[in-house]
Amino acid sequence: MSTTDIRLQKPRVKNRRPSWDEEPSLFGKLTKAAFLICYAAAIIIPLWAVVATSFASEDALNRAGGNLLILPTDLSLRAYQEIFSGGALTDSLLLTIILTVGGTAISMVLTIGAAYGLSRPGSLGHRPLLMLILFTFLFAPGMYPSFLVVQQLGLFDNYLSLILPMALNAFNLIVLRSFFMTSVPGELIDAAKMDGAGEFRILFRVVLPMSKAILAVIALFYAVGYWNIYFQAVLYTPGLDTQPIQVVLQRMLMSTQGLPGAASNAAQYQSTAAAPTAALKMAVVVCTIVPIVIMYPFIQKHFTKAVITGAIKG
Amino acid sequence: MAALKTSAPPAAGGAPDRPRIVRKQTVSQRLRHDWPLLIMTLPALAQLSVFFYWPSSWNIIAFMDYSPYRPFWENPFVGFAWFGRLFSDPYFMPALVNTLQFALAQLALVFPLSIFLALVMHSVISTRVRSVFQSIVYLPYFFSWVLVVTVFIQMLGADGLVSNWMLGFGGDRLNVTADPDSFMFLAWMQWTWKDAGWGMIIFLAALSSINPSLYEAAAVDGASRWRRMWHITLPGIRPVIVLLLILQIGTILTVGFEQYQLQREAVGYQTTEVLDTFVYYRTILSSNGESLGTAAGLFKGIIGLLLVLAANHIAHRLGEQGIYQKS
Repeated sequence: MSTTDIRLQKPRVKNRRPSWDEEPSLFGKLTKAAFLICYAAAIIIPLWAVVATSFASEDALNRAGGNLLILPTDLSLRAYQEIFSGGALTDSLLLTIILTVGGTAISMVLTIGAAYGLSRPGSLGHRPLLMLILFTFLFAPGMYPSFLVVQQLGLFDNYLSLILPMALNAFNLIVLRSFFMTSVPGELIDAAKMDGAGEFRILFRVVLPMSKAILAVIALFYAVGYWNIYFQAVLYTPGLDTQPIQVVLQRMLMSTQGLPGAASNAAQYQSTAAAPTAALKMAVVVCTIVPIVIMYPFIQKHFTKAVITGAIKG
Repeated sequence: MAALKTSAPPAAGGAPDRPRIVRKQTVSQRLRHDWPLLIMTLPALAQLSVFFYWPSSWNIIAFMDYSPYRPFWENPFVGFAWFGRLFSDPYFMPALVNTLQFALAQLALVFPLSIFLALVMHSVISTRVRSVFQSIVYLPYFFSWVLVVTVFIQMLGADGLVSNWMLGFGGDRLNVTADPDSFMFLAWMQWTWKDAGWGMIIFLAALSSINPSLYEAAAVDGASRWRRMWHITLPGIRPVIVLLLILQIGTILTVGFEQYQLQREAVGYQTTEVLDTFVYYRTILSSNGESLGTAAGLFKGIIGLLLVLAANHIAHRLGEQGIYQKS
């Protein structure tokens, strides 16, 4: 029926080379292994250096003479103490958490509602409504017109402007809708209807419990979007004191990495007292990564299904 | 996006396995039947109306001499004058050229890399190695551009880790994060780091949907590993490649905003200016650019629309499925 179902019956469940396949040469195997290891290392090493630096004491950093180090010699939690000490960084993290939780909740309500509302075959007006949604894939209204509307609604410099304008992602909506149409048996819904259940009851009692995995993936996509919010904050809420964490991180970065070549002398800028230490910057980076890394393993196994549902079957 | 093809055509009799047939009812009967569904759809439609269709209609100011400081109806219509001005603007053409360069580089350098990664991954027998490698390379896709740029500056910047190593070996500092000449290389590394791994997910799924008995039959007939790849694997994932190419061509003028805005100061605007940053600096950060910037945005939107439609048409002519079908 669909590619995803075929994926479930993977041809190589036994973890063994099929008998008709000849053994590759040793050279081929080694090249492949080296390539995979290098590729993975290119992703892991920078992340490791970030984490290591965030725990490094100032002495260790000065001795390393730079921004990052691989092996922290004497560990220090100062950077994290500073982040969670209740200052601007704490506020920013709290704000970002609230935006992420609230935004994801709103997005899920919009997405689930429309995905189910448009998924019943032959319902009144579902085709023109679907067209209205699909058109958003083909065209973008543009930055300034969107900005004007946010201003006219009085949402400029209002945290709601970081949620409402991007609360609905048509791609997620389509993914969820096609999941409802193909993976939730229509007979089950019809049977519930025979028993006198209304559409809302069917949605909450029948459809949603069967869709937990895909809902989790979509919620993750939304949550990551809100967690990583940067451009919208620059655009819509530049005047507010507490900014999302990505904006704060960008400001910290720019405060030491200003003009081209200006930071080429490490010793020179370490003397500027106002500049945040590398450890603090990297600790903020760690704080922005950690929630993603925690969520990730729970949801990762469903990625393929969600992406394929969206892109191939639509 | 392909939902057009799965939306069961209701007028044509509906899906035979769904017994609910509603087409003989009048609108008011159907409304009485379907109103809960419409209520559920309503919040999403409201969001779209306010934040997609309403702004879309504001594109009309691209045809006006618009100023936010006077009432709307006092702004005179000027026809297509701003679109003419765009092409004589000293900053627009470079921004357009840069945008196309970045988009084509992504298409030529990152897209094939994703396919290559998927092919390598598919040839790995051990499921354990596969799942570990996939977990690692998917992860950066979820990082923000702020984070990616920060990590790159810390690693490859003039004070970065690699620079320090090179100093230790008697070399010079790197300047790759602040050098306009090598920005394309830097951008390529960033795309690769962030997105190439995630890009393989869809090809992997396509690969595992190829019937394994095809390989077996070919192997029995004496086809070598490379011939099997050429005659079975690549044709097997061709529809997916075409589909993704169409999607990419449709968004060729949308290369993103944050990556370029974040590195603008260090690298210089000449190299990093793309259409989105052009619009941003013209409309939001300076006065009197509202109509010109909106015209640039509308130009981008219309070209994108035409490109998707054209690419899809070509895909149909080539016998591929494309994004949506004429139902």
